[in-house]
Amino acid sequence: MKYRFIFFGMAFGFFLSRAGATTFDFYAKLFLFEDLQLLWVILSAVAVGIIGLRLLKYFNVKAIVSGVELSFDSKTMEKGLIVGSLLFGLGWGLTGTCPGSAAAMLGEGKIMALPTGFGILFGTYLYARQKHIPEK
Amino acid sequence: MGDVIVWSGWIGGVAIGSYMLIQYWYTGHMLGVSKTYYNPLSTFSSLEIFSSGEFASFNNWRLWFAIGIPLGSALAAITSPDYQWHINLSMGEMYNSVLPQEMWLRVLVLFCGGIIMGYGARLAGGCTSGHVISGVSMLNLPSILAGTLFFIGGLLSVQILFLFFSG
Repeated sequence: MKYRFIFFGMAFGFFLSRAGATTFDFYAKLFLFEDLQLLWVILSAVAVGIIGLRLLKYFNVKAIVSGVELSFDSKTMEKGLIVGSLLFGLGWGLTGTCPGSAAAMLGEGKIMALPTGFGILFGTYLYARQKHIPEK
Repeated sequence: MGDVIVWSGWIGGVAIGSYMLIQYWYTGHMLGVSKTYYNPLSTFSSLEIFSSGEFASFNNWRLWFAIGIPLGSALAAITSPDYQWHINLSMGEMYNSVLPQEMWLRVLVLFCGGIIMGYGARLAGGCTSGHVISGVSMLNLPSILAGTLFFIGGLLSVQILFLFFSG
């Protein structure tokens, strides 16, 4: 089953590209209000998502592969949500990419997503280290 | 040389939203990218978090998902008639003009930007895909708050960057 995820990843990467999420300047243009391409992407994705998830829930749909009941438990409120989200946003605007788009940009040969990608790895590592090694 | 094909925003959004629904319906896994970064880390670090739970096996769904993303975007790039696929250092006109011109400094700035993004995503519990596309679609309040703050953060850094460093 898990190997099939390569095709899911491919579809996601393809759509990220076609949606403009692999074009650095769309991020700058979004936050300068010059071109709201990515805002329309996010808003319409969420609109489809809201309706679709309601339908899946209403019809009590089960996952096709595993037959497990789909869970609609939402993410919990993390203690660091406010600070973490602001930090994420600052990096998002500064680098003109995000964790998924950086991988997709690399597929297009846009190699300047690489330092950002290594940074994301390192930031993830720092968090895990701080959080999961008990302080002495 | 032109860039890759870009659809109208709303068509791209409908595609991504529908993709998220199909992934969830078919596999039972909600869309989310930032945790995927645990996978490569598990090969470098012995921290338990990188190889426990859904990461107990290195060979997990997130690994294959992550491998697929650049393959899919490469396909999108080579099917774009105006885009010549090649390894390139360009970040587009705007970022090219506003980020440091010295390559080492630019790489350092992007690396630091990546650090706060990676650290922030874990602190917040998700990134643009997990919190915004999946979480807001669930009308999940923490995700709506996270998404709003992502935007405020992006607004701050881009406005400051272009106020002080553009030509």
